[in-house]
Formats: sequence, structure tokens, C-alpha cells
Amino acid sequence: MSDTIIQFRNVSKHFGPLKVLDEVDLEIHKGEVVVLVGPSGSGKSTLLRCINGLEQITGGDLIVNGMSVLGGNKIMREIRQEAGMVFQQFNLFPQMTALQNVAFGPQQVRGLSRSEARALAKELLAKVGLAEKANHEPAELSGGQQQRVAIARALAIKPKVMLFDEPTSALDPELKQEVLNVMRNLAAEGMTMVVVTHEMGFAKQVGTRLIFMEHGKIAVDGTPRDVIDNPPNDRMKDFLQHV
Amino acid sequence: MEVNWLIILDFIPQLLKGAQVTVHITVVGLLGGVILGAIAGLMRAYGNAVINAIAFVYIEVIRGTPIVVQVMFLYFALPVLASIRIDPMTTAILAIVINAGAYIAEIVRGAVLSISKGLTEAGLAIGLPRWKVIVHIVGPLAFRRLIPPLGNQFIVSLKDTSLFIVIGVGELTRTGQEIMAANFRAVEIWTAVAIMYLIMTGVLSLALRMIEKRMRIL
Repeated sequence: MSDTIIQFRNVSKHFGPLKVLDEVDLEIHKGEVVVLVGPSGSGKSTLLRCINGLEQITGGDLIVNGMSVLGGNKIMREIRQEAGMVFQQFNLFPQMTALQNVAFGPQQVRGLSRSEARALAKELLAKVGLAEKANHEPAELSGGQQQRVAIARALAIKPKVMLFDEPTSALDPELKQEVLNVMRNLAAEGMTMVVVTHEMGFAKQVGTRLIFMEHGKIAVDGTPRDVIDNPPNDRMKDFLQHV
Repeated sequence: MEVNWLIILDFIPQLLKGAQVTVHITVVGLLGGVILGAIAGLMRAYGNAVINAIAFVYIEVIRGTPIVVQVMFLYFALPVLASIRIDPMTTAILAIVINAGAYIAEIVRGAVLSISKGLTEAGLAIGLPRWKVIVHIVGPLAFRRLIPPLGNQFIVSLKDTSLFIVIGVGELTRTGQEIMAANFRAVEIWTAVAIMYLIMTGVLSLALRMIEKRMRIL
């Protein structure tokens, strides 16, 4: 299909003798919001991290926006510029203000001038509702605010896909919503998203596709409503009762 | 012999000259030590197995042997082994470079590795090459954590220069020894020498504390 943006071809990932991804085949198309769920150790985070090369695949091939993750350092950097990543622990650069965190990427990798990068950063901070926090350092922001800055930072490099690795798992319940709202808006704009999360409400509302992983394999792949309302197997049913 | 503190005054110019040599060896030696230490530390933190092993062997050999033995080796053994003859002053500076470099390497490695791996990943994830992540993100953060242990090493190295008495470098301790040998004023001279070391290490401590205060440690 021509609108395929991520393609796993028989991808395996080993950590030493441990097989974390077991010959995964998966195609993700433009505009999809794919929610990855599964018990811990099932390989969902690893699957996500293989897309932007934070983990190197050990078997098969993985094509992102027409480029193979096996194409070497330069290609990998290009892939990373097309796949923005949001981490569970936010990972904002502590020595920079919110604005500098967001402006840093476009200036360093997209070749924007300082003033262009700052203007873009201001625009994106406004988009995530943090215009007034531009000059605050990460330590002065709440977890929810830090994660919204991190989303703005990832968006600043103008990626075609956004990867979210448990973006709300480190947040208090009342702060989760502000992050999920930003993600909801992003999905509504048509951004392609791959989200590892335990938020079933978000999966049902925003996800266009839900993938349940188990033992490094894709066990279930369907629309969130179908899968959540009628779990196709006992293992999935059991999992849903515990999240 | 009665203790006569005023006698110190007669020897102050001579002691100051010795102190000057001490400062010279320390400053030049540490400059080189910081450079060598940064390189070896980064080799340990980021190098592949071979590069890492080279730095590891250097660090372990130097940390595992006394500095006096290292000086003796440079000054007496090297001419035999490689027919390289170096004068005492150069030997002294070289000894500080090599010795401090090994300790500073471990300080640099520790500081770099103390920076959360997540920050490196965040930098890589926006498409930065690894060297830019090191220069712009890990480096500035690690630098702040470097200052306190680095200050400690600077003070140790400054005091280590007193060991160069064994190869006849005219630094402060050697100068004190020479004066003492002539007039046997042990109490006065060694007190004066100790105070001069205290002034030098005191100034160093103060300067480092000021740098630390100006930089927030993140």
C-alpha cells in the first residue's frame, strides 16, 4: 500500500539469549492511531523503540517512511527526524528552559535560524497550552506540563509519525488528562501515532487500531472497540480486567 | 636552639621562589592532566571494547602504583629503556599530567555516566548525531558534577608536587629542605612551608567554591 509509513518485515529483537520481538510483521498507515497494549515484558516498548532505532533490530527489516533502519547512521538520523518520540520520564533537557527545549531540535537538525526556531517553539508551546511557561525550566513545571513540553519538542522537528512510550504512566491521575487531551488534539489533526499505553479509555476514544502483544508477538490486532468490548481470547480478557 | 620565628623573614624570598616552581608544575601539569583525563574518561564512557581497554589499562596502572615510583620510572628507567632523557622539571610536569590524568579520567567517566541515559535518548530521538548529544546535552550537565571531585584532585596534585624532592626539583618542599640543612631551624622552616602550602590550597579551594556557587549543580 502506498500510504504505508511503517513496515515491520519479520522483525526480531534479541537481548542476548532473550527474544523480545519474535518475527513481527506489521504495517502502519498514514493517519492511523495505533495503540499498543500488553503485559510488561511483552515487547511493546521495544517494538516502539525499534522504529526510531533506540533499539537495534536483530532480525528482519523495518522500513520507516521509505527508509530502512538498517541503512546506517545517517539514514537513522533521517528516520528519527520523521519519527518524534515522547518518553515515559519526559527527559526534558534540565539545563534549558521550556522554550529552549523545543527550539533546540529545529535549530540543530532542521537548520532553522535561532529566531525561526524560537518562533516555532512559541507556537508549539501555545498549542500544548503552555505559552506562559516558555521561560520556565523543567524543574519548575509539573509532570503534566513537562510531558506537554516534551510533546512540543518532538513536534518541533516536524515528524510524520509520533511515538509515545507510556506517556502518562509517570503522572498522577489528574495530570494524565491534560497530556491525553493534547494527544487527542494531535490525532484529530491527522497525525499518525503509535502509542504504548494502559489508558483503555484513550484507546477506545482516539485509537483507530489496537494491538495486543504477548511474548514478543502480535496476539490481537483489531479496532479498539471490537477488541475491548469482545476480547478475542482469554489472555486478552484477563489483561483488560487488570488495567 | 630557641625557636625564633623572625628568622622566617630572611628566607621568605627563597621559599617564594620554591612556591613559584610548585605553582608552575601544578598549573601546567593539571592543564595537561585535565586534557588527558577528559580523553581517557570519554574513551572509557563511549569507546568500543578496544578503546575502552586501552584507557582502562592506563588508569589501572597509574592508580595502582605510587606516584613516587612513577616519577622514578620516568626519570631513571625511561632513559635506559628508550634512551629518552628528560630534565627534572619536565619529568615533574609529565608525572602530574600522567598521574592526575588517570584520576581525572575516572572523575570524567563518573560524571558522564551519572547523566540519565534518557537524556541521551531524547537527544538522539530528535535526530542529533551522538557527538552533538555529548557536546550540547550530556557535556554541560556532566561538567557541573565534575567540579567538586575535580577540585579535590587539584588539591591532591598540588601537594603531590612535594614528592619531586626525590629528583631534585627546586619546588617548595625541596627549598625548605635545603634551608633546613643549612641552619637546622626545623620548627620555623617547616611551619613556614606548611603555611605556604595552606595558602596555595586555600586559594584553590576558594576559587573552586566560587565556581561551584556560580553554577547550579543540576
